Amino acid sequence: MSKPSDLVQGTLDLLLLKILALEPLNGFAISLRLKQVSGDVLQVSDGSLYPALHKLEQEGWISAEWKTTENNRRAKYYSLTRPGRKHLEKEADNWGRLAAAISHVVKLKET
Amino acid sequence: MRLERWIYKLPLRLRSLFHRQKADQELDDELHDHVEQKMQQYITQGMSQEEARRDALLELGCLEKRKEECRDARQVNHLENFVHDIRFGFRMLCKSPSVTVVVVIAIALGVGANTAIFSVVNGFLLRPLPVPSPEQITVLAIQQKEAPVGSSGFSYPEFVDFRRQAATVADMFGIVLGTVQFTANEQSEECAANYVSGNYFTALGLQPAVGRLYRSSEGETPGEPLLVVLGYGYWQKRFHGDPRAVGKQILINGRSATIIGVVPRQFQGMYSIFETHVYLPMSAMIQEESVRLFWDNRDRRGILAFARLQPGIRLREAQSSLDVITARLALQYPATDKGFTVRAIPEKSARPIPYANNFFVAVSGLFLVLAAFVLLLACMNVENILLARGSARQREMAIRAALGAGRARLIRQMLTESVLLAILGGAAGMLLGMWASRLTSSIHLQNIPLHVNASFDWRVFAFAAASALLTGLVVGLLPAFRASSADVNSVLHEGGQRDSPGIHHPGFRNFLVVAQVAGSFTLLVIAGLFVRSLQKVQTFDLGFDPSHVLNVTMDPHQVGYDESRATAFYRELESRVRSLPGVQSVSLASYVPMGGFPFNRPVSLEGLPTPAGQQAPSVLSNSVDPPYFETMHITLLRGRIFSAADNDTAPRVAIINQTMAARFWPHEDPIGKRFSMDGDRGPFMEIVGVTANGKYKTVAEDAAPFFYVPLAQNFASKLALQIRTTGPPESLAAPVKEQLAQLAPGMAIVDIATMDQLLAGAFGFFAFRLAATLAAALGIMGLILAVVGVYGVVSFAASQRTREMGIRMALGANSRDILKLVWLQGVRLIIAGVVIGIVAAWALTRAMTHLLAEISASDPITYITVAIILTAVALLACYIPARRAMRVDPMVALRYE
Repeated sequence: MSKPSDLVQGTLDLLLLKILALEPLNGFAISLRLKQVSGDVLQVSDGSLYPALHKLEQEGWISAEWKTTENNRRAKYYSLTRPGRKHLEKEADNWGRLAAAISHVVKLKET
Repeated sequence: MRLERWIYKLPLRLRSLFHRQKADQELDDELHDHVEQKMQQYITQGMSQEEARRDALLELGCLEKRKEECRDARQVNHLENFVHDIRFGFRMLCKSPSVTVVVVIAIALGVGANTAIFSVVNGFLLRPLPVPSPEQITVLAIQQKEAPVGSSGFSYPEFVDFRRQAATVADMFGIVLGTVQFTANEQSEECAANYVSGNYFTALGLQPAVGRLYRSSEGETPGEPLLVVLGYGYWQKRFHGDPRAVGKQILINGRSATIIGVVPRQFQGMYSIFETHVYLPMSAMIQEESVRLFWDNRDRRGILAFARLQPGIRLREAQSSLDVITARLALQYPATDKGFTVRAIPEKSARPIPYANNFFVAVSGLFLVLAAFVLLLACMNVENILLARGSARQREMAIRAALGAGRARLIRQMLTESVLLAILGGAAGMLLGMWASRLTSSIHLQNIPLHVNASFDWRVFAFAAASALLTGLVVGLLPAFRASSADVNSVLHEGGQRDSPGIHHPGFRNFLVVAQVAGSFTLLVIAGLFVRSLQKVQTFDLGFDPSHVLNVTMDPHQVGYDESRATAFYRELESRVRSLPGVQSVSLASYVPMGGFPFNRPVSLEGLPTPAGQQAPSVLSNSVDPPYFETMHITLLRGRIFSAADNDTAPRVAIINQTMAARFWPHEDPIGKRFSMDGDRGPFMEIVGVTANGKYKTVAEDAAPFFYVPLAQNFASKLALQIRTTGPPESLAAPVKEQLAQLAPGMAIVDIATMDQLLAGAFGFFAFRLAATLAAALGIMGLILAVVGVYGVVSFAASQRTREMGIRMALGANSRDILKLVWLQGVRLIIAGVVIGIVAAWALTRAMTHLLAEISASDPITYITVAIILTAVALLACYIPARRAMRVDPMVALRYE
């Protein structure tokens, strides 16, 4: 499985950070939640999920904690850190501008 | 904000590093947990347990690979992998000890040779002068028209003028080289001395090791008390490092003097290649000159000048100031100060002695290149070995790749191994180099206090380390690339069959072997040329017979004898020695061939005044007494030799050699012609005899004009006594010393040496012998490496083809055919190598011609001999694995894997 390109990786990071901004979750739950809130459009493969999460943790945007779930099993829960929140805002802004620009170009009238 | 991130990042990094197992376990748990949850989801969606499990696992992909990716994302891998690589590398090296040992030895030889030679070059050329801010020190060399730079020095009045006028840009100091008789504790010996200007030590900025050094106000007033500063080495040798030597009263050339201090240990004078024993003030310079001549005469040029540039002054500014001063002085003193310029050269560019041509640098360069060659050969050897091992480890690499290692990772792993080998080899090489360079300090030259400083400083260590690391990287790169490119499928399925062609590529290995043979050939040719050069030089016609001659040099002036007393002394000494048993003949001369620095005199022919603006031609000469020609067995071609009648009341006479006759009086009989060595107006000397040519200054010099004048008409105080003996010349040393002690107690012997010893010395064969020895050592190293390389490759190739040979034998080939098969492979490589080597050697030795004596750089005997030796040894190296292959049992060969 090849590594995702930079653009895709950056977008994935943005999505994961946002999901965690809503509430702390473990890896499986994150991918489930993303699928739900995007209406099944955005599905992250398991193979890309964990390396991305670990990288975000390494960068200090998210932090992890081992907690016991309802079913009495131990799971690793990720949550957003304060620098992570700031980074999320910045990236969300960038994304907004990028998306608007792309839409604008695509909507140009052809002659 | 970045700092805040580190609050989260740092504990993670530390944990991954120190609690690796725990972090690994957690990663494992996390991924397994994910699979569990997914499984649950599928089960609730209706799948069976196995299906759910299978699908969940499939979606995650290869567990190990995911884990590796997560670890990569954590980026602790770099350090962790590094440590792991090193440990694994060590294990691999220990697993195949013979390979490891061979490689380490090969690298050690290469690195050792390079380091040793570099340490010597460093000592002479690179190490800065041990004074503060050494880059400010410059050499001030006089450039006269048509004379080599620096062949003459400054006169004292000139030196003072320059020093005063240049004070704003440079602090100028000067020295005069000489030898003195040093008497302390009733013992006298000859010492190398530097007469220095008052500001010598202050300009250099030296602090004494003991006592004090000269102040700028001292040193240049005639008649002041004689204060002496000792060189550190001499202080150790003569006074055993006793600090009470300071303040001691001693005798210098018979004059009372006081020791005031010792220079620091690292300082060896301005010419670090020669050790300075004592430093004396210039005011002590009343040697052969009368006092006034040295101080007042602008024409007596003996001072070698240096300067420390003032802070902030650049070389160019100083040079312009010097030019201005030179022009001003030329106007003021047109008779003496015209026709030259003063060049300021940074001290570092004027090594090992200023005024030498670049000969020394060229020779050092040559030997560094030769040593680099040896290292290259060693690298090729190691490369072949690593390539062979790499192809044997392809299975391992393929499995690793399957387990998730990236290509970069594999390459890094293999590079670590080769760098480890290189580090081991480099360390061994450094030790080898240290030992070898220590050998150089045991080089002693007759009557020249040579000081070879080949000690290891940071530069040498850095050089050794860099060579080793570079070797490791260069050598490891290709095998690493090759091995890591293994295709998992093909390697695992072929199951290690050795003789499928896709896996190993013999082409490059064969190329390496051919290159090794060629390289070794070139090295051996160069060594052979140096050896032949040495042989040739030792058979040169010297013009005299050096066997059975003992030379004893002494200087009555040092104990205060004047001319008449000295003459009487020598006469008495000669007759006493002549009557000793075992003495055939005795003579006196102002210097001995190959024994020192002959006098250069300007020659003016009678009736042919030197044209204005030109210098009279310079010719070497010697002052001898009548028995000299007979004692030295010099052949007289025409006329007569000196006789007792040629004394200081008789007309002045001279004897010239053939070259001088041909140069100055071509097509005429020179007997009866007159010339002068004191200028156009005489006094003139009449030529009474012509001798055959010979060697006078060095054994390898070109034919040069030379003339002799009688000692009776040209008094010199420092003379050498030549004694031709019937038995071994050394046996006369003690009796002669005894006679001398009886006649003149307190007069020290300046030097005592047999003619053969002088011939083996600096002006004789020494350089040739050194070059031949060094080149031969390197050549032999290269030969060993090449032969080992050939053996290795042929051996490996044979083992690769073992199955094929088993098949051939089963099909009817007999053992001789197998032998031929293997052997021919080697033969082809060797022949190719030798042919290329001939071409390479011819091309590369073009520049060496002027380093060889009377041997052409394409000397056929050398080439043929080297070709025969190299081919024979290499063929033998092929023969051994060929024989081994021949003896293999076909049944074993067929099953060989």
